[in-house]
Amino acid sequence: MKNLRPILIVLIVLAFASSRAVAGAVKVIANPSVSVSAVSSGDLQSVFLLDSDSLGGSHVEPVLVKGGPTHEAFLKEYLGKNDSALQAFYRSLVFTGKASMPKFLDSDAAVVAYVAKTKGAIGYVSDEASTAGVKVLSIK
Amino acid sequence: MKRILSTICCGALAVLTFPTTVRAQEFKVFDRTVQIHGFASQGFVHTDDNNWLTMETSNIGSGQFTDFGANASTQITDSFRAGAQIYDRELGQLGRWHPELDWAYADYKFKPWLGVRGGKVKTVMGLYNDTQDLDFLHTFALLPQGVYSTDMRDSTLAHIGGDAYGTFALKKHLGKFSYTGYVGDQLQSIYGGYPYLLQIHGIYIDHTGGLTYGGDLRWKTPVKGLLGGVSYEGNHVRNTGQLNPSVALGGPDVMVPYWEQSRSQFTKQIYGEYTRGNLRIDAEYRRFWRDFTIFNGQFLALIGTHAWYPSAAYRVNKRFEFGGYYSHFDEYWIVTAPGQIEASCECDPSRHIYDKVVTARFDLNMHWYAKAEGHFMNGNAAGNLPMYPDGFYPQVNPNGLEPNTIGLVFKTGLNF
Repeated sequence: MKNLRPILIVLIVLAFASSRAVAGAVKVIANPSVSVSAVSSGDLQSVFLLDSDSLGGSHVEPVLVKGGPTHEAFLKEYLGKNDSALQAFYRSLVFTGKASMPKFLDSDAAVVAYVAKTKGAIGYVSDEASTAGVKVLSIK
Repeated sequence: MKRILSTICCGALAVLTFPTTVRAQEFKVFDRTVQIHGFASQGFVHTDDNNWLTMETSNIGSGQFTDFGANASTQITDSFRAGAQIYDRELGQLGRWHPELDWAYADYKFKPWLGVRGGKVKTVMGLYNDTQDLDFLHTFALLPQGVYSTDMRDSTLAHIGGDAYGTFALKKHLGKFSYTGYVGDQLQSIYGGYPYLLQIHGIYIDHTGGLTYGGDLRWKTPVKGLLGGVSYEGNHVRNTGQLNPSVALGGPDVMVPYWEQSRSQFTKQIYGEYTRGNLRIDAEYRRFWRDFTIFNGQFLALIGTHAWYPSAAYRVNKRFEFGGYYSHFDEYWIVTAPGQIEASCECDPSRHIYDKVVTARFDLNMHWYAKAEGHFMNGNAAGNLPMYPDGFYPQVNPNGLEPNTIGLVFKTGLNF
């Protein structure tokens, strides 16, 4: 049992490190027309849960990724929902007329390209993704 | 039935083999994106005793449990949107393929804390009143029937009028409040459970509805995943139609004009939800009260119901979710018409339904799902001469009702 203790400690540290790595593995990006350079997690949640459509006076439109580790990390960190719950939430709004279904794109590159060309678009990509043509928002 | 099943199978095969073919459609009108979405579901119900929900469920079972809908909506400006949805269903003797405008309204949002809607609007009440028809959203094939009875959905489902709504954040990180207030006309379907029930008294309703007003206030608390709220609706209902007095009153066998109206009617609801990871726990309580003059003002009917449930659901993975609930419904009544007996104690099966339910849901892909559900019901809430339905109707149970019922519900559906 004593021999196992250091291994258990290493495993616990690695598990913690990996969860932190996932949580910090997302960048929030926006079209340059969006006036803010920082956003609170509460405001980010309001935008992606369609409670609010503005940030700092700028109209914003959320864009999401279809699945994958970046998508899962963003949902867990900022929206507190899994993908099934988020899809059900959006559909409850769409099928009662309260909102349109947000855009879901296939990849980080597609999200960056869409956000770069669409006024007010706000999305998220992995830490490693190129962010040419968009601004990266810091989370305050 | 065979045609419906073959249609569902073909549609499902298309969805499985070409998952991108069944998806929401978008097109442009005057440079504005219009989205089209739709859904359909098909169910099958079998019970051991007692025919349920106006279906002949106690022999082989019944597949008269079908619905579908489609909507179109568009964001006209950043603050202004409009849309409409049509809906049709068959639930045993209810619905009967009479399509209806489910909702159609224009919505203008001035600020996050103030928006207005006008048109036919789904009524916000409790956790699921405005989405109760959208089977694909829910874990359960039947929501807790004490609170969200599918045969009586018309009594709270929608109103033609206006809503004011909004969300505002509380200071000091105390969460957010969302409110909805509404007023309008609650024009109900004449193909719902209450008009169907009245037929056993020789009453044939051709118009049901009246003034409705109410509101909902919900608090997204500072505790992550915890939500609570209250709802209230008041109604002034007037139902009109034809009466054959020979059926219930021993009068002549002719049809005469009929009316009944409420002197007082309200619904109060309190609810809470907690979600953590893949777990969701809900609980609601609904109190309903109706003080009606019936038979053209000759008699009074006072009916009150209490309903509540706790439920839990857990999503194991993308494809599989399971859940369960306990639904409590009890009703009491005092009716001054001849032959009516004041309600006995709640212990009598005719005064309550206690339903224990377990469900498994399978999501075959984003668009197609299937559910299997078991109901273990104690009581039938049918009354000695029923005045308010909750699932068990004398017309499809001419030999009377057993006190308990076991029901199996299978359902599948598509949405895009």
